[in-house]
Amino acid sequence: MTENSLDKEQQIVNHLVGTFQNLTGKVKRNRRIEVSIEKKQITSVLNYVKDHLGFIHFSHMSCVDWLEDGYFELVYILWSPEQKIQLLVKALVDRENASVENADMIWRQLNTYQREIREMFGVNFIGMKGDKEFILEDWDNMPPMRRDFNTVDYIQEVYFERPGREDAQNVRETISKRTGEEIPEVATKYSRD
Amino acid sequence: MMREKATTLYLGPQHPGITGNMMIKLKVEGDTVVKAQTHVGYLHRGFEKLMERRNWLQSFTIVCRICVPEPDPNELNYSRAVEEIEGREVPERAEWIRTLMMELSRLASYLLWFGGQNGSAGLYTMPQWSVGDRDYILDLFEELTGGRVYHMYIWPGGVRRDLPNGFADRVLQTMDYLEKRLKQYDQLMFENTIFQRRAQGIGWIDPAKAVEWGVVGPPLRAAGFKSDVRIDDPYLIYDQLDFEVPTQQGSDVWARALVRRTEFQQSINMVRQIIDKMPGGPVYNKIPNPMKWTIPAGDAYVKAESARGEFGYYVVSDGSNKPRRVHVKGPAYVHGVTLLENILEGANISDVSFIMNSLGTCPPEIER
Amino acid sequence: MPNDKNSQKIVDIIKNAARKHSLFVLAYGTGCGAIEIPPTMTSRYDAERFGIRGMATPRQADVLLVTGYLATKTLKRVIRAYEQMQDPKYVIGFGSCTINGGMYWDSYNTIKLLDKYIPVDVYINGCMPRPEAVITGFIELQKLIAEGKADGATKYKENLDWYRANQKKVIKNWNMPDYNW
Repeated sequence: MTENSLDKEQQIVNHLVGTFQNLTGKVKRNRRIEVSIEKKQITSVLNYVKDHLGFIHFSHMSCVDWLEDGYFELVYILWSPEQKIQLLVKALVDRENASVENADMIWRQLNTYQREIREMFGVNFIGMKGDKEFILEDWDNMPPMRRDFNTVDYIQEVYFERPGREDAQNVRETISKRTGEEIPEVATKYSRD
Repeated sequence: MMREKATTLYLGPQHPGITGNMMIKLKVEGDTVVKAQTHVGYLHRGFEKLMERRNWLQSFTIVCRICVPEPDPNELNYSRAVEEIEGREVPERAEWIRTLMMELSRLASYLLWFGGQNGSAGLYTMPQWSVGDRDYILDLFEELTGGRVYHMYIWPGGVRRDLPNGFADRVLQTMDYLEKRLKQYDQLMFENTIFQRRAQGIGWIDPAKAVEWGVVGPPLRAAGFKSDVRIDDPYLIYDQLDFEVPTQQGSDVWARALVRRTEFQQSINMVRQIIDKMPGGPVYNKIPNPMKWTIPAGDAYVKAESARGEFGYYVVSDGSNKPRRVHVKGPAYVHGVTLLENILEGANISDVSFIMNSLGTCPPEIER
Repeated sequence: MPNDKNSQKIVDIIKNAARKHSLFVLAYGTGCGAIEIPPTMTSRYDAERFGIRGMATPRQADVLLVTGYLATKTLKRVIRAYEQMQDPKYVIGFGSCTINGGMYWDSYNTIKLLDKYIPVDVYINGCMPRPEAVITGFIELQKLIAEGKADGATKYKENLDWYRANQKKVIKNWNMPDYNW
């Protein structure tokens, strides 16, 4: 590792901090930088880094649900093939009536990512065209990837469970009776039944 | 003369010509496709919700089932992301063994691709040969890890166990056998005029727009770009191995087949170099009590090069013993939905399945 | 003239022997387990010596191999394919996900018990089953056919209301054709 190995990354962060207001950024490690912006700056920042800084390849878009703090965090991940650096752009959106502007005129494949986030989290992308259903069919409950959707209650209501056998025995007790060994304490402490 | 109306056809979930369980809704006029729309969701299991209820070590056991033909990049990416957030070191011998697993998995995936591409063209001898040869590599996996298809071998901190006695010799024997067979595949498939005439000029991707549309992997290399995660964002020990990344200029189905064939030969060379240069030492860095193992808060995005393209994992931790968010992005997410809908316009009906196989669409990783 | 082996007539024995030696499997990969079917059909494990081969459409197939878990979206299509198949037809449940939900027991989109939606004749357990286990499952099905006990199709016809009630509980938008044979 040479001495000035993080110079290129630091230059890009400084340039972005100087160009946009309310933007904070840092260098995470070799070839990874991240910036945090407000939700109304999303399309202008994405257009700027695509046209002027060489981040032309769109890698991934994700959404994290911070239920305790009351917001969603949208993450856009971009890659620059010239300088080989990955940029993560993060923006926070309110959980109640979440809505963000549509960005799929910048990269066409954003349509697929946005449709999935709309279906799984319930974030509204203003002005986006596309079928309502992407992965689920005839789903009438709340968006399933939110943290307050309880899967165990849902499956007990809708699906059947296989009942246990009538002569079902506890496995550890049966084996210890047969061989005469003691059941160690760590087995009973972390066991589920 | 009456004008033809467009008919709607459902190339549906039950069809012997599609790669997996997905549906393409085609609008055809005569024999030409006018509009195509992909429908996925037939294989959705909600992996990311399942992982929020399991702790870090239990999640590693289910992660390999996300991508069915090639499970190893999933395990590798999950382990590398967890190690990056926690700051855990991996012993050197474990990195070499991980690279060996990735290259063997790449060979197995290419053999399955040889079968699929030719099966959709009508050359049924090739699937019988290549899927039968893939069994020799699955035998090696079974000797090392215990399972033919799903290994659960690469975990955070290293690999699960060391190589058994005599394993290196069997690997080299299998590589010699596959190299001999590659000459026979050449005679049957690559020097076959019928395959060449069918494959040239079909499924063309515009090279000027390929990077912007998010194309990765062999389709991008067939469009002339020398782009591979193993040299752009190096991971494991690829910077100590000697290999080259092939490119072609045609950007059609024939160019992609040539790229994959050259990479097959390169992977065989890489496996021989790895067996030759592997150092000794421990194979894993022990994790603490798995019931109470917590990872500090943070996030990481890691990438790996699978046989179909760039595989990415975005993992977020909030300081507890369960993952907060694990988001998986497979190469077929872009290739199977927006790119496929674009390329199929103007294609002949009998080439639809051919083009799908050349892009490497694999539905389980689109919808997890 | 009744035969003393389980009181089957001689016609039944010939009929069952012909049926069990030619089982055509529908080409439908519904889940993960579909990756171990091509190795079963190639020359190392060679399922074709038992008369097992793949077939393209439901009208021409005998066996529906449900390979693994079923999402509710796929269950609707599997029911439609099953009802289009003609008698005699058999269903094999492949993998532990058809037995009790397997490792997706707490997923909101997969069904847990296959037996409540379509009748199953033979289960093959494992995750995933080896090609030798697949062939053993088919041999088990052949034994049941020879004894005349593989009657999932008649069970479906007789208890159609019960199966329909279970299916409609999971599939909310029921726009399928009526089953009339």
